[in-house]
Amino acid sequence: MQDLNAPANPLETLAYIIAQQIEDHSIVYIGTGIPMVAGILAKKTHAPNITLVYESGGQDPIEGDMPWSVGCPFTWRKSPTIMEMSYSFAQCYNGYVDIGFLGFAQVDMYGNVNTHMIGKDYHQPKVRMTGSGGNNDLSSLTEKMVLVGLQTPEKFPEKVDFITSVGHLSGGDSRREAGLIGNGPAAVISPWGVYDFHPVNKRMRVKSLTPGVTFELAQQLTGFELLKPEGEIPETKLVTPEALEVIRTQVDPRGVFTSMPAA
Amino acid sequence: MAKYLYNQEAVENLRLSDTSVLDRLVDFESAREAHLKKERAKKDKRMTIGEAVKTFVQDGDIITDGGFSYVRTAHQAFHEIIRQGKKNLQMIGAPNTNQSFFITYGLVEYSHSSYTGAEMRGIDKVYDRALKAGKIQILSEWSHGGVAQGLKAAQLGIPGVFSKQMLGSDLMRYNPYLKVVQHPLKEDKDPCVFVPALYPDVAVIHCHAADKYGNAYIYGPAVNDLATAAAARKLIITAEEIVPENDIRYNKQGQIIPFFYVDAVVEMPFGALPGSMPGCYYWPRQWWEKCMRFGGASEENNKAFCDEWILGVKDQYEFVEKLGGARWIAEARRQTKAAEGDNEDIDFSYEEYTLKHDSGIYY
Repeated sequence: MQDLNAPANPLETLAYIIAQQIEDHSIVYIGTGIPMVAGILAKKTHAPNITLVYESGGQDPIEGDMPWSVGCPFTWRKSPTIMEMSYSFAQCYNGYVDIGFLGFAQVDMYGNVNTHMIGKDYHQPKVRMTGSGGNNDLSSLTEKMVLVGLQTPEKFPEKVDFITSVGHLSGGDSRREAGLIGNGPAAVISPWGVYDFHPVNKRMRVKSLTPGVTFELAQQLTGFELLKPEGEIPETKLVTPEALEVIRTQVDPRGVFTSMPAA
Repeated sequence: MAKYLYNQEAVENLRLSDTSVLDRLVDFESAREAHLKKERAKKDKRMTIGEAVKTFVQDGDIITDGGFSYVRTAHQAFHEIIRQGKKNLQMIGAPNTNQSFFITYGLVEYSHSSYTGAEMRGIDKVYDRALKAGKIQILSEWSHGGVAQGLKAAQLGIPGVFSKQMLGSDLMRYNPYLKVVQHPLKEDKDPCVFVPALYPDVAVIHCHAADKYGNAYIYGPAVNDLATAAAARKLIITAEEIVPENDIRYNKQGQIIPFFYVDAVVEMPFGALPGSMPGCYYWPRQWWEKCMRFGGASEENNKAFCDEWILGVKDQYEFVEKLGGARWIAEARRQTKAAEGDNEDIDFSYEEYTLKHDSGIYY
């Protein structure tokens, strides 16, 4: 059981901000980790009528504990149906998913995602990572994508080292011209800020910043030039005490995904 | 000489000198030939896992990962393949997590790469090290959906599918099997990806129940296994239990692999261990944490861990004993039933494995 009086940590903040992107009565495709926390938090707070969908094929599970994996029985607990993998992605193409959440190791100024490798040489990378999994499929097909991860200049480079998943490709209409479906990434969420994309050139733009984070600091944490919104930059709404209590007592009481890794 | 006109940019990017190594995965004619030669009669196909692997897994085969990483995957059969020391294997799957156990012992030399790793428990450092050391060659990069569509195309009985996945990404520049084509009915530009039907040589699929002829029943996520069963040239079924044919006919509606796909039937309780088996047993979660964290740390650690759990045990029963025996069985069954809502909710707390803390308990 977690200390209920401790201030919110960055992962809990992240989970809350992600949850705020979810509207009630929508179908939500959930990736592993923090998106699971956010999806379940949304369902237990402002969006009780959402349908959660997981990559193992689980659809609309009844309430249970925090899944240990996207293949965990909690992702298909008494599901009316479990879809095969090819059908599970097909529902994104066919218009039966409203919003999807994905992680990244790198995201660039156009919202392209890398989960493959860090380094300039494909054959001798600094680090080889997981590869696409379902990341590319969701990005290619889903109406609205939200990207979630940590923010450093290395994680927010001008160009990703490998385009695992296309966001807005090279900006403008390039995503649509490449033949992809859906509107591409709508937001990028890090512990320091929420970013959206300029409607015409599709470059990443500050939408709101975590209290205490200035535009200059956000820029220093970014490897490319961030666009500034017109007027005052709003502060990101921080996790409320009520939501924090729900996270710690009902959603992830053992801190599977929301406790900070030990140093 | 290669049989097919591969995506040349990808061939060059992957530095493939001899593209004939790519052929069999998309060679429909030889897959159909293999299917036509299969036994039609209802014969008792039961054998031991040792015999099944000896007979139906050959050096050089394209083998599939199955289930979902560590859910209903035929891990114990994979361990037997490792014990028998097969060579030159290619591996494909969505996910493709378990190729690293084969890489550890030098069985898999070629990867059709989609996803490796164990989600939040970390990236696959065994794969990372093997790639950098040149011990493994990537033959193609995929998304999960791309592999799923290729296998599904085989099951549908069609040469391939037009997909909207993977377009514009670097997967297209590192996958010789994929080509961008124009939607044939559209006047305006509308790029699609042609994903060819995929035909692995051999699949091992772990099921809940099978009859002696090979009719096999899956409960829970089938993932890609129904498609894989239809596509593979050779198919080994391992099953938690062997049941009379009439049990399948009368009681097991739903996800069934028909007997005529199947070459071997192996009774193998706990065959999914160390993975989980829907309805039967939950993961030994600490095992995977130790595998990724301790094994991931160095090549020596990984070898020691795999030697202990794969070469160091004779069969799945010894594996269960190492996990805690009857106590482990009872706890794992209780956990999976609770997770599925089939018994009273329980506390899912456990002592996580970390490099500083190894409780030695696996439930």
